[in-house]
Amino acid sequence: MDTRVSSPEPPYTVRLSTALALAPPALLVLVACVQIFLTRNTGLTPWKGGGFGMFATNDGNQFRYVRLFVDAPDRSEELEIAPSLEDLAARAQALPGAAQLERVARAVVARERRKGRPVETVRVEVWWIDFARGTLKATDRLLRQHQFHAYRQMDSAGR
Amino acid sequence: MRIGKWTRPGGEVGPAELVLRLTAIELLLRPMGPWFIKPFVLLLAGLALVAPQVLRAPVTWLALALLVAGRLIADWPLPDNHIYLLAYWCLAAGLALQAPDIRSPLALTARLLIGFAFFFAVSWKALLSPDYLDGRFFRVTLLTDERFADAVLLFGGLSQKQLAENRQYLEPLPEGAELLHPPELVEPAAFQALVLLSTWGTLLIEAAIAVLFLLKVRGALATARHALLLLFCVATYAFAPVAGFGWLLLVMGLAQCREQEIWLRRSYVTVYFLVLIYSEVPWAAVALRGLGPLG
Repeated sequence: MDTRVSSPEPPYTVRLSTALALAPPALLVLVACVQIFLTRNTGLTPWKGGGFGMFATNDGNQFRYVRLFVDAPDRSEELEIAPSLEDLAARAQALPGAAQLERVARAVVARERRKGRPVETVRVEVWWIDFARGTLKATDRLLRQHQFHAYRQMDSAGR
Repeated sequence: MRIGKWTRPGGEVGPAELVLRLTAIELLLRPMGPWFIKPFVLLLAGLALVAPQVLRAPVTWLALALLVAGRLIADWPLPDNHIYLLAYWCLAAGLALQAPDIRSPLALTARLLIGFAFFFAVSWKALLSPDYLDGRFFRVTLLTDERFADAVLLFGGLSQKQLAENRQYLEPLPEGAELLHPPELVEPAAFQALVLLSTWGTLLIEAAIAVLFLLKVRGALATARHALLLLFCVATYAFAPVAGFGWLLLVMGLAQCREQEIWLRRSYVTVYFLVLIYSEVPWAAVALRGLGPLG
Protein backbone atom coordinates (compact mmCIF):
# COMPACT_ATOMS: atom_id res chain seq x y z
CA MET A 1 0.00 0.00 0.00
CA ASP A 2 1.43 3.33 -0.99
CA THR A 3 1.51 5.46 2.15
CA ARG A 4 3.12 8.49 0.55
CA VAL A 5 1.03 11.63 0.90
CA SER A 6 1.32 14.16 -1.91
CA SER A 7 0.96 17.75 -0.78
CA PRO A 8 -1.82 19.53 -2.62
CA GLU A 9 -0.90 22.19 -5.17
CA PRO A 10 -1.66 25.70 -3.92
CA PRO A 11 -4.96 26.90 -5.34
CA TYR A 12 -4.58 29.05 -8.43
CA THR A 13 -6.25 32.07 -6.91
CA VAL A 14 -7.35 35.18 -8.71
CA ARG A 15 -4.67 37.03 -6.73
CA LEU A 16 -1.93 34.71 -8.00
CA SER A 17 -3.28 34.90 -11.53
CA THR A 18 -3.29 38.70 -11.40
CA ALA A 19 0.21 38.84 -9.91
CA LEU A 20 1.56 36.63 -12.68
CA ALA A 21 -0.25 38.73 -15.27
CA LEU A 22 1.53 41.83 -13.98
CA ALA A 23 4.98 40.25 -14.27
CA PRO A 24 5.58 40.83 -18.00
CA PRO A 25 4.53 44.52 -17.88
CA ALA A 26 6.69 44.99 -14.79
CA LEU A 27 9.60 43.53 -16.72
CA LEU A 28 8.89 45.91 -19.61
CA VAL A 29 8.97 48.91 -17.28
CA LEU A 30 12.19 47.75 -15.63
CA VAL A 31 13.99 47.14 -18.93
CA ALA A 32 12.76 50.45 -20.36
CA CYS A 33 14.03 52.35 -17.31
CA VAL A 34 17.40 50.62 -17.58
CA GLN A 35 17.49 51.57 -21.26
CA ILE A 36 16.94 55.23 -20.46
CA PHE A 37 19.78 55.05 -17.94
CA LEU A 38 22.07 53.42 -20.52
CA THR A 39 21.28 56.03 -23.18
CA ARG A 40 22.29 58.75 -20.75
CA ASN A 41 25.39 57.06 -19.37
CA THR A 42 26.87 54.82 -22.05
CA GLY A 43 25.69 56.40 -25.28
CA LEU A 44 23.27 53.58 -26.14
CA THR A 45 21.17 54.68 -29.08
CA PRO A 46 17.54 55.36 -28.05
CA TRP A 47 16.44 53.10 -30.94
CA LYS A 48 17.66 49.97 -29.15
CA GLY A 49 17.62 48.41 -25.73
CA GLY A 50 13.90 47.89 -25.17
CA GLY A 51 12.98 51.45 -24.28
CA PHE A 52 10.73 52.11 -27.30
CA GLY A 53 12.68 55.17 -28.37
CA MET A 54 12.64 54.20 -32.05
CA PHE A 55 11.20 56.78 -34.44
CA ALA A 56 11.74 59.44 -31.76
CA THR A 57 15.16 60.77 -32.66
CA ASN A 58 17.73 60.90 -35.45
CA ASP A 59 20.30 59.42 -33.04
CA GLY A 60 20.02 55.91 -34.41
CA ASN A 61 22.43 53.55 -36.12
CA GLN A 62 21.62 55.13 -39.49
CA PHE A 63 23.44 58.30 -38.42
CA ARG A 64 26.26 56.80 -36.39
CA TYR A 65 29.45 55.28 -37.71
CA VAL A 66 32.65 53.72 -36.47
CA ARG A 67 36.18 54.70 -37.47
CA LEU A 68 39.27 52.58 -36.82
CA PHE A 69 42.83 53.87 -36.65
CA VAL A 70 46.00 51.82 -36.32
CA ASP A 71 49.44 53.07 -35.29
CA ALA A 72 52.80 51.29 -35.37
CA PRO A 73 56.38 52.21 -36.28
CA ASP A 74 56.21 53.39 -39.92
CA ARG A 75 52.46 53.03 -39.90
CA SER A 76 49.55 55.28 -39.10
CA GLU A 77 46.34 54.76 -41.01
CA GLU A 78 42.60 54.50 -40.89
CA LEU A 79 41.21 51.05 -41.62
CA GLU A 80 38.06 50.08 -43.42
CA ILE A 81 35.79 47.88 -41.37
CA ALA A 82 36.40 44.35 -42.58
CA PRO A 83 33.45 41.95 -42.88
CA SER A 84 34.80 39.96 -39.92
CA LEU A 85 34.57 43.09 -37.77
CA GLU A 86 31.17 44.31 -38.94
CA ASP A 87 29.14 42.66 -36.20
CA LEU A 88 31.35 43.97 -33.40
CA ALA A 89 31.43 47.40 -35.01
CA ALA A 90 27.63 47.46 -35.29
CA ARG A 91 27.31 46.62 -31.59
CA ALA A 92 29.82 49.33 -30.64
CA GLN A 93 28.01 51.77 -32.89
CA ALA A 94 24.74 51.12 -31.05
CA LEU A 95 26.32 51.02 -27.61
CA PRO A 96 29.72 52.77 -27.55
CA GLY A 97 30.61 51.70 -24.02
CA ALA A 98 34.18 51.06 -22.95
CA ALA A 99 33.77 47.27 -23.04
CA GLN A 100 32.25 47.30 -26.52
CA LEU A 101 34.94 49.60 -27.93
CA GLU A 102 37.68 47.51 -26.35
CA ARG A 103 36.25 44.37 -27.97
CA VAL A 104 36.47 46.03 -31.36
CA ALA A 105 40.01 47.17 -30.67
CA ARG A 106 41.11 43.69 -29.61
CA ALA A 107 39.52 42.19 -32.71
CA VAL A 108 41.41 44.70 -34.87
CA VAL A 109 44.69 43.79 -33.17
CA ALA A 110 44.05 40.08 -33.70
CA ARG A 111 43.16 40.63 -37.34
CA GLU A 112 46.19 42.80 -38.08
CA ARG A 113 48.48 40.23 -36.48
CA ARG A 114 46.86 37.45 -38.52
CA LYS A 115 47.59 39.47 -41.64
CA GLY A 116 51.19 39.96 -40.49
CA ARG A 117 50.82 43.72 -40.19
CA PRO A 118 52.43 45.68 -37.34
CA VAL A 119 50.10 47.19 -34.75
CA GLU A 120 50.97 49.09 -31.57
CA THR A 121 47.85 51.05 -30.79
CA VAL A 122 44.30 50.94 -32.05
CA ARG A 123 41.91 53.83 -31.71
CA VAL A 124 38.18 53.18 -32.08
CA GLU A 125 35.94 56.19 -32.61
CA VAL A 126 32.14 56.32 -32.75
CA TRP A 127 30.71 59.37 -34.50
CA TRP A 128 27.20 60.65 -35.02
CA ILE A 129 25.67 63.12 -37.43
CA ASP A 130 23.93 66.03 -35.76
CA PHE A 131 21.35 67.96 -37.78
CA ALA A 132 21.00 71.58 -36.70
CA ARG A 133 17.63 72.94 -35.67
CA GLY A 134 16.05 74.89 -38.50
CA THR A 135 18.67 74.60 -41.22
CA LEU A 136 19.28 70.84 -40.78
CA LYS A 137 22.94 71.53 -41.44
CA ALA A 138 24.73 68.25 -40.81
CA THR A 139 27.79 68.13 -38.56
CA ASP A 140 29.85 65.12 -37.54
CA ARG A 141 30.36 64.87 -33.79
CA LEU A 142 32.58 62.47 -31.88
CA LEU A 143 30.46 60.42 -29.51
CA ARG A 144 33.07 58.18 -27.86
CA GLN A 145 36.60 57.03 -28.50
CA HIS A 146 38.83 54.37 -27.01
CA GLN A 147 42.55 53.79 -27.38
CA PHE A 148 43.95 50.29 -26.92
CA HIS A 149 47.62 49.33 -26.65
CA ALA A 150 48.35 46.09 -28.43
CA TYR A 151 50.96 44.96 -25.88
CA ARG A 152 48.02 44.23 -23.56
CA GLN A 153 46.89 41.45 -25.88
CA MET A 154 48.96 38.29 -26.37
CA ASP A 155 49.35 37.02 -29.88
CA SER A 156 48.50 33.47 -30.96
CA ALA A 157 51.97 32.27 -29.87
CA GLY A 158 51.31 33.54 -26.38
CA ARG A 159 53.78 36.37 -26.67
CA MET B 1 5.02 19.85 -9.20
CA ARG B 2 3.01 17.89 -11.75
CA ILE B 3 4.20 17.84 -15.32
CA GLY B 4 0.60 18.32 -16.43
CA LYS B 5 0.67 21.84 -15.02
CA TRP B 6 3.16 22.75 -17.74
CA THR B 7 1.89 20.65 -20.63
CA ARG B 8 -1.84 21.27 -20.34
CA PRO B 9 -3.71 24.55 -20.02
CA GLY B 10 -5.26 25.30 -16.66
CA GLY B 11 -8.67 25.95 -18.20
CA GLU B 12 -10.63 26.39 -21.38
CA VAL B 13 -8.46 28.14 -23.98
CA GLY B 14 -11.41 29.26 -26.12
CA PRO B 15 -10.88 32.46 -28.17
CA ALA B 16 -7.31 32.77 -26.86
CA GLU B 17 -6.44 29.97 -29.27
CA LEU B 18 -6.69 32.37 -32.21
CA VAL B 19 -4.38 34.80 -30.39
CA LEU B 20 -1.82 32.05 -29.89
CA ARG B 21 -2.06 30.92 -33.52
CA LEU B 22 -1.51 34.42 -34.86
CA THR B 23 1.50 34.79 -32.55
CA ALA B 24 2.89 31.52 -33.90
CA ILE B 25 2.35 32.76 -37.46
CA GLU B 26 4.33 35.90 -36.67
CA LEU B 27 7.20 33.81 -35.31
CA LEU B 28 7.26 31.87 -38.58
CA LEU B 29 6.96 34.94 -40.81
CA ARG B 30 9.84 36.72 -39.08
CA PRO B 31 12.37 34.06 -38.10
CA MET B 32 15.00 35.45 -35.79
CA GLY B 33 18.15 34.74 -33.90
CA PRO B 34 21.49 32.95 -34.28
CA TRP B 35 21.71 29.34 -35.43
CA PHE B 36 21.30 27.93 -31.92
CA ILE B 37 18.00 29.76 -31.41
CA LYS B 38 16.24 30.22 -34.74
CA PRO B 39 15.58 26.55 -35.59
CA PHE B 40 14.02 25.93 -32.18
CA VAL B 41 11.77 28.98 -32.46
CA LEU B 42 10.63 27.84 -35.91
CA LEU B 43 10.13 24.29 -34.68
CA LEU B 44 8.02 25.29 -31.70
CA ALA B 45 6.00 27.83 -33.69
CA GLY B 46 5.40 25.32 -36.48
CA LEU B 47 4.38 22.57 -34.06
CA ALA B 48 2.09 25.00 -32.28
CA LEU B 49 0.24 25.60 -35.54
CA VAL B 50 -0.24 21.96 -36.41
CA ALA B 51 -0.63 20.37 -32.97
CA PRO B 52 -3.27 21.88 -30.65
CA GLN B 53 -1.65 20.22 -27.61
CA VAL B 54 1.57 22.11 -28.30
CA LEU B 55 -0.30 25.36 -28.97
CA ARG B 56 -2.13 25.18 -25.63
CA ALA B 57 0.79 23.98 -23.49
CA PRO B 58 2.19 26.64 -21.13
CA VAL B 59 5.67 25.16 -21.55
CA THR B 60 5.59 25.94 -25.30
CA TRP B 61 5.24 29.65 -24.68
CA LEU B 62 7.60 29.71 -21.72
CA ALA B 63 10.20 27.98 -23.91
CA LEU B 64 9.57 30.52 -26.68
CA ALA B 65 9.98 33.35 -24.17
CA LEU B 66 13.32 31.89 -23.11
CA LEU B 67 14.45 31.46 -26.71
CA VAL B 68 13.52 35.03 -27.63
CA ALA B 69 15.26 36.25 -24.45
CA GLY B 70 18.28 34.21 -25.54
CA ARG B 71 18.24 35.99 -28.85
CA LEU B 72 18.13 39.36 -27.07
CA ILE B 73 21.17 38.42 -25.01
CA ALA B 74 23.11 36.89 -27.92
CA ASP B 75 22.52 39.87 -30.21
CA TRP B 76 22.59 42.61 -27.56
CA PRO B 77 22.27 45.57 -28.16
CA LEU B 78 21.13 45.16 -31.76
CA PRO B 79 17.60 43.66 -31.52
CA ASP B 80 14.69 45.98 -32.25
CA ASN B 81 12.26 46.93 -29.52
CA HIS B 82 9.47 44.68 -30.70
CA ILE B 83 11.65 41.64 -29.99
CA TYR B 84 11.56 42.62 -26.31
CA LEU B 85 7.78 42.95 -26.56
CA LEU B 86 7.62 39.53 -28.19
CA ALA B 87 9.57 38.01 -25.28
CA TYR B 88 7.20 39.62 -22.75
CA TRP B 89 4.18 38.43 -24.76
CA CYS B 90 5.36 34.81 -24.99
CA LEU B 91 6.01 34.91 -21.23
CA ALA B 92 2.51 36.32 -20.70
CA ALA B 93 0.99 33.50 -22.76
CA GLY B 94 2.91 30.85 -20.85
CA LEU B 95 1.84 32.26 -17.49
CA ALA B 96 -1.80 32.84 -18.48
CA LEU B 97 -2.21 29.32 -19.88
CA GLN B 98 -1.65 27.91 -16.40
CA ALA B 99 -4.61 29.80 -14.95
CA PRO B 100 -8.11 28.30 -14.75
CA ASP B 101 -9.43 31.46 -16.44
CA ILE B 102 -6.99 32.09 -19.27
CA ARG B 103 -8.65 35.06 -20.94
CA SER B 104 -8.61 37.50 -18.02
CA PRO B 105 -4.89 37.44 -17.16
CA LEU B 106 -3.95 37.39 -20.85
CA ALA B 107 -6.18 40.40 -21.52
CA LEU B 108 -4.78 42.27 -18.51
CA THR B 109 -1.18 41.64 -19.56
CA ALA B 110 -1.93 42.58 -23.16
CA ARG B 111 -3.57 45.85 -22.10
CA LEU B 112 -0.67 46.84 -19.86
CA LEU B 113 2.04 45.81 -22.34
CA ILE B 114 0.43 48.01 -25.00
CA GLY B 115 -0.12 50.82 -22.50
CA PHE B 116 3.45 50.85 -21.20
CA ALA B 117 5.07 50.38 -24.62
CA PHE B 118 3.22 53.45 -25.87
CA PHE B 119 3.90 55.30 -22.62
CA PHE B 120 7.64 54.95 -23.14
CA ALA B 121 7.34 55.72 -26.86
CA VAL B 122 5.54 58.97 -26.00
CA SER B 123 8.02 59.74 -23.23
CA TRP B 124 10.87 59.48 -25.68
CA LYS B 125 9.18 61.67 -28.28
CA ALA B 126 7.81 64.33 -25.97
CA LEU B 127 10.38 64.51 -23.18
CA LEU B 128 13.63 62.69 -23.81
CA SER B 129 14.39 63.28 -27.47
CA PRO B 130 16.07 66.57 -28.40
CA ASP B 131 14.95 66.48 -32.03
CA TYR B 132 11.41 65.18 -32.22
CA LEU B 133 9.05 68.00 -31.23
CA ASP B 134 10.81 70.57 -33.43
CA GLY B 135 10.16 68.34 -36.45
CA ARG B 136 13.79 67.53 -37.16
CA PHE B 137 13.25 63.79 -36.84
CA PHE B 138 10.63 63.54 -39.56
CA ARG B 139 12.26 66.20 -41.74
CA VAL B 140 15.45 64.15 -41.84
CA THR B 141 13.83 60.71 -41.90
CA LEU B 142 11.42 61.49 -44.71
CA LEU B 143 14.25 62.90 -46.81
CA THR B 144 16.89 60.27 -46.16
CA ASP B 145 15.15 56.96 -45.48
CA GLU B 146 14.72 55.14 -48.80
CA ARG B 147 11.73 53.25 -47.41
CA PHE B 148 9.74 56.51 -47.25
CA ALA B 149 10.93 57.85 -50.60
CA ASP B 150 7.89 56.78 -52.60
CA ALA B 151 5.52 58.18 -49.99
CA VAL B 152 7.45 61.47 -49.93
CA LEU B 153 7.30 61.75 -53.73
CA LEU B 154 3.60 60.91 -53.63
CA PHE B 155 2.51 63.21 -50.80
CA GLY B 156 5.43 65.57 -50.14
CA GLY B 157 5.39 67.61 -53.33
CA LEU B 158 9.04 66.85 -54.10
CA SER B 159 10.46 65.65 -57.39
CA GLN B 160 13.11 62.94 -57.66
CA LYS B 161 15.70 65.64 -58.44
CA GLN B 162 14.73 67.72 -55.42
CA LEU B 163 14.84 64.67 -53.17
CA ALA B 164 18.33 63.79 -54.43
CA GLU B 165 19.55 67.36 -53.90
CA ASN B 166 18.06 67.43 -50.40
CA ARG B 167 19.91 64.23 -49.58
CA GLN B 168 23.13 65.80 -50.81
CA TYR B 169 22.45 68.83 -48.62
CA LEU B 170 22.04 66.56 -45.57
CA GLU B 171 25.43 64.92 -46.00
CA PRO B 172 28.00 66.35 -43.61
CA LEU B 173 31.12 67.91 -45.08
CA PRO B 174 34.63 67.33 -43.72
CA GLU B 175 35.48 69.86 -41.02
CA GLY B 176 36.23 73.27 -42.44
CA ALA B 177 35.15 72.33 -45.96
CA GLU B 178 32.63 74.31 -47.96
CA LEU B 179 31.10 73.61 -51.34
CA LEU B 180 31.53 76.15 -54.12
CA HIS B 181 27.85 75.75 -55.05
CA PRO B 182 26.14 74.35 -51.98
CA PRO B 183 22.75 72.74 -52.61
CA GLU B 184 19.71 74.31 -51.03
CA LEU B 185 17.21 72.49 -48.92
CA VAL B 186 13.85 72.41 -50.68
CA GLU B 187 10.82 71.82 -48.48
CA PRO B 188 7.58 72.72 -50.26
CA ALA B 189 4.38 73.36 -48.34
CA ALA B 190 3.14 69.81 -48.94
CA PHE B 191 6.33 68.40 -47.43
CA GLN B 192 6.12 70.70 -44.41
CA ALA B 193 2.51 69.65 -43.91
CA LEU B 194 3.55 66.01 -44.13
CA VAL B 195 6.22 66.62 -41.47
CA LEU B 196 3.75 68.42 -39.20
CA LEU B 197 1.12 65.72 -39.60
CA SER B 198 3.63 62.94 -39.03
CA THR B 199 5.20 64.58 -35.98
CA TRP B 200 2.07 65.61 -34.09
CA GLY B 201 -0.28 63.01 -35.47
CA THR B 202 2.00 60.22 -34.32
CA LEU B 203 2.56 61.79 -30.92
CA LEU B 204 -1.12 62.43 -30.25
CA ILE B 205 -2.37 59.03 -31.31
CA GLU B 206 0.37 57.27 -29.32
CA ALA B 207 -0.44 59.37 -26.26
CA ALA B 208 -4.13 58.58 -26.58
CA ILE B 209 -3.39 54.87 -26.89
CA ALA B 210 -1.08 54.96 -23.87
CA VAL B 211 -3.71 56.65 -21.70
CA LEU B 212 -6.64 54.50 -22.82
CA PHE B 213 -4.76 51.23 -22.41
CA LEU B 214 -3.22 52.06 -19.04
CA LEU B 215 -6.56 53.08 -17.56
CA LYS B 216 -9.40 50.68 -16.87
CA VAL B 217 -12.12 52.04 -19.15
CA ARG B 218 -15.53 50.81 -20.17
CA GLY B 219 -18.19 51.50 -22.77
CA ALA B 220 -17.39 54.07 -25.45
CA LEU B 221 -13.83 54.59 -24.19
CA ALA B 222 -13.13 50.86 -24.38
CA THR B 223 -14.35 50.86 -27.98
CA ALA B 224 -12.33 53.99 -28.71
CA ARG B 225 -9.24 52.28 -27.37
CA HIS B 226 -9.60 49.45 -29.88
CA ALA B 227 -10.46 51.83 -32.71
CA LEU B 228 -7.37 53.92 -32.06
CA LEU B 229 -5.08 50.90 -31.96
CA LEU B 230 -6.52 49.60 -35.21
CA LEU B 231 -6.21 53.03 -36.82
CA PHE B 232 -2.62 53.32 -35.62
CA CYS B 233 -1.72 49.97 -37.16
CA VAL B 234 -3.53 50.68 -40.45
CA ALA B 235 -1.80 54.05 -40.85
CA THR B 236 1.64 53.34 -39.41
CA TYR B 237 2.50 50.00 -40.94
CA ALA B 238 1.66 51.21 -44.41
CA PHE B 239 4.89 53.19 -44.09
CA ALA B 240 6.96 51.85 -41.19
CA PRO B 241 8.66 48.64 -42.26
CA VAL B 242 8.23 46.88 -38.93
CA ALA B 243 5.36 44.52 -39.60
CA GLY B 244 6.41 42.35 -36.66
CA PHE B 245 5.59 45.16 -34.27
CA GLY B 246 2.22 45.72 -35.88
CA TRP B 247 1.31 42.04 -35.68
CA LEU B 248 2.22 41.94 -32.00
CA LEU B 249 0.09 44.98 -31.20
CA LEU B 250 -2.84 43.48 -33.10
CA VAL B 251 -2.52 40.12 -31.39
CA MET B 252 -2.45 41.84 -28.00
CA GLY B 253 -5.48 43.92 -28.97
CA LEU B 254 -7.30 40.78 -30.04
CA ALA B 255 -6.48 39.15 -26.70
CA GLN B 256 -8.59 41.81 -25.00
CA CYS B 257 -11.72 41.11 -27.04
CA ARG B 258 -14.52 39.08 -25.57
CA GLU B 259 -15.88 36.12 -27.51
CA GLN B 260 -19.10 37.96 -28.31
CA GLU B 261 -17.26 40.98 -29.78
CA ILE B 262 -17.28 39.29 -33.17
CA TRP B 263 -16.80 42.37 -35.36
CA LEU B 264 -13.96 43.66 -33.24
CA ARG B 265 -12.21 40.32 -33.43
CA ARG B 266 -12.71 40.20 -37.17
CA SER B 267 -11.30 43.73 -37.47
CA TYR B 268 -8.13 42.74 -35.66
CA VAL B 269 -7.66 39.69 -37.85
CA THR B 270 -8.34 41.72 -40.99
CA VAL B 271 -5.79 44.38 -40.08
CA TYR B 272 -3.29 41.64 -39.15
CA PHE B 273 -3.44 40.39 -42.73
CA LEU B 274 -3.53 43.94 -44.10
CA VAL B 275 -0.20 44.57 -42.37
CA LEU B 276 1.07 41.38 -43.99
CA ILE B 277 0.10 42.73 -47.40
CA TYR B 278 1.65 46.10 -46.60
CA SER B 279 4.92 44.36 -45.85
CA GLU B 280 4.96 42.58 -49.19
CA VAL B 281 3.42 45.08 -51.62
CA PRO B 282 5.31 48.31 -52.38
CA TRP B 283 2.00 50.13 -52.61
CA ALA B 284 3.49 53.63 -52.63
CA ALA B 285 5.79 52.77 -55.55
CA VAL B 286 2.88 51.19 -57.41
CA ALA B 287 0.72 54.27 -56.81
CA LEU B 288 3.56 56.51 -57.91
CA ARG B 289 3.97 54.62 -61.18
CA GLY B 290 0.22 54.75 -61.68
CA LEU B 291 0.33 58.54 -61.51
CA GLY B 292 2.80 58.55 -64.42
CA PRO B 293 4.20 62.02 -65.29
CA LEU B 294 2.44 63.49 -62.24
CA GLY B 295 4.52 61.28 -59.87
